[in-house]
Amino acid sequence: MDKIVVDRVSKSFSSQRRGDETIVALDNVDLTIAEQEIVCIVGPSGCGKSTLLNLIAGFDMPTSGEIKVNGAPVTSAGPDRIVVFQSPSLFPWMTVTENITFGPRKRGIPRADYESEARDTIEAVGLRRFAERFPYELSGGMRQRVQIARALVNRPQVLLMDEPFASLDFQNRLAMQELLLRLWGRIHPTIFFITHDVEEAIFLGDRVHVMTASPGRIKAVVDVPFPKPRQIEIVTAPKFVEIKDRVLHLIRSEFEQSDRAAESAAG
Amino acid sequence: MRYPLVSVMAVLLLFAAWALVTDLFRIPAMTLPSPQQMATSFKTMLVEGYSGKSLWVHILASLGRTLTGLLAGIALGVPIGLLMGYSRFINAVFMPGFGFIRPIPPIAFIPLVILWFGIGELSKILLIFVASFNYTVLASAAGMRSVPEQLVRAGINLGLTRWQLFSSVMLPAAMPHIFTGIKISVAVSWAVVVAAELIAAQAGLGYIIADAGTFFRTPEVLIGVFIIGAIGLLFEIIVTSVERRVLHWQSKA
Repeated sequence: MDKIVVDRVSKSFSSQRRGDETIVALDNVDLTIAEQEIVCIVGPSGCGKSTLLNLIAGFDMPTSGEIKVNGAPVTSAGPDRIVVFQSPSLFPWMTVTENITFGPRKRGIPRADYESEARDTIEAVGLRRFAERFPYELSGGMRQRVQIARALVNRPQVLLMDEPFASLDFQNRLAMQELLLRLWGRIHPTIFFITHDVEEAIFLGDRVHVMTASPGRIKAVVDVPFPKPRQIEIVTAPKFVEIKDRVLHLIRSEFEQSDRAAESAAG
Repeated sequence: MRYPLVSVMAVLLLFAAWALVTDLFRIPAMTLPSPQQMATSFKTMLVEGYSGKSLWVHILASLGRTLTGLLAGIALGVPIGLLMGYSRFINAVFMPGFGFIRPIPPIAFIPLVILWFGIGELSKILLIFVASFNYTVLASAAGMRSVPEQLVRAGINLGLTRWQLFSSVMLPAAMPHIFTGIKISVAVSWAVVVAAELIAAQAGLGYIIADAGTFFRTPEVLIGVFIIGAIGLLFEIIVTSVERRVLHWQSKA
């Protein structure tokens, strides 16, 4: 069943900086994500990846077209679609546990109903010893794990991730990628994952969408036929390398094109 | 820790130099009293008070005015500032007025306030109120506007209502700015109360130094100045330690 349907969605902004010129961030984007599927989006900065995520999250509305989640049009943001941001968006005045239980607490869910879930989630992201610490006492990787735990404790059907591991070092990034797949194995959310790291996209995704910039369009979709959970060793498998090669070619032809476009515009 | 010891030594040395200079050059007490003369005057003041009122009455008079005006200013300034930061409409309504008043030194209002409200308690409290209100209102508005968009979005995303978003996300996130506003208000209020008492008062630390000055009673003037300084310092220590406890998370995140 289709969980998320993005149907001919366009989004434009008027830029005050450039004399009210209209900037087309997304142009006629079609995208369908099946239930429990992990879809990764790769593309250059400014290709509208985050704009698309904000629309699915319901932070913003499309200029034209429609986005449906569970068959119903998206009209606002809600805890059924939790966003994991690139920079840690933890509440700095709350402990790890307070951060993680913030959503359920504020929605008036009885303590008994979320307490053990919260404890399990903290355990699952390996932060049991840090449950009563504050975000400023944690490393960048730990903060991102808290953010993921804060998302998962709401049992979201959809997880929207905006380059969540981009600011982490290589080792942490690998650990987080494996962790994410393990967590996916627990509650099987549908995941929309933005990254500019091709290897990360292929390692995590069931499908990888390659986007082009200005205007943002989906250029190609590449299937990744590895079963989950995956181990990091698969990144050297011939099939993996072949897929990576294909995605890299798509990206390269994209920036060659945009270079030519910029040249002809300048000349 | 050797540094606190160094500080104590430095202060002692300063007093010693002061005693030495006043003694060596036979400086008259009216120009600069020696520390010994100061101590004697201070003892007399403690026992006999100043102009018929005990020293504590003077101190409490200044403190009472300051705290009344300050608390009123904060109680009104913080919510209005938060609303200004929250709503562009409310900001547009209030900003021209408050923006214009803020750079005016509160002391400049003294003649006006006396004209309108006389030289009673109300005038002084009102001056302090205006000063502290101004600083807290603008700091709170700035704090509200500086709440990271990401935190607000995270709150919306977790299903918070508008009120919850305001009270549980935006308000705590604005706290560092609000606290800065309160800190400035405390310092300014203390300065304003002394200034107001210099001009019109029957009691208070500002009254002591003004009155003693007219009669060339330099030791009393200096003692008044020292007490004003000590209480100002105490205020700062209290506010800073509260801040450190409440806002331990700030600027480390």
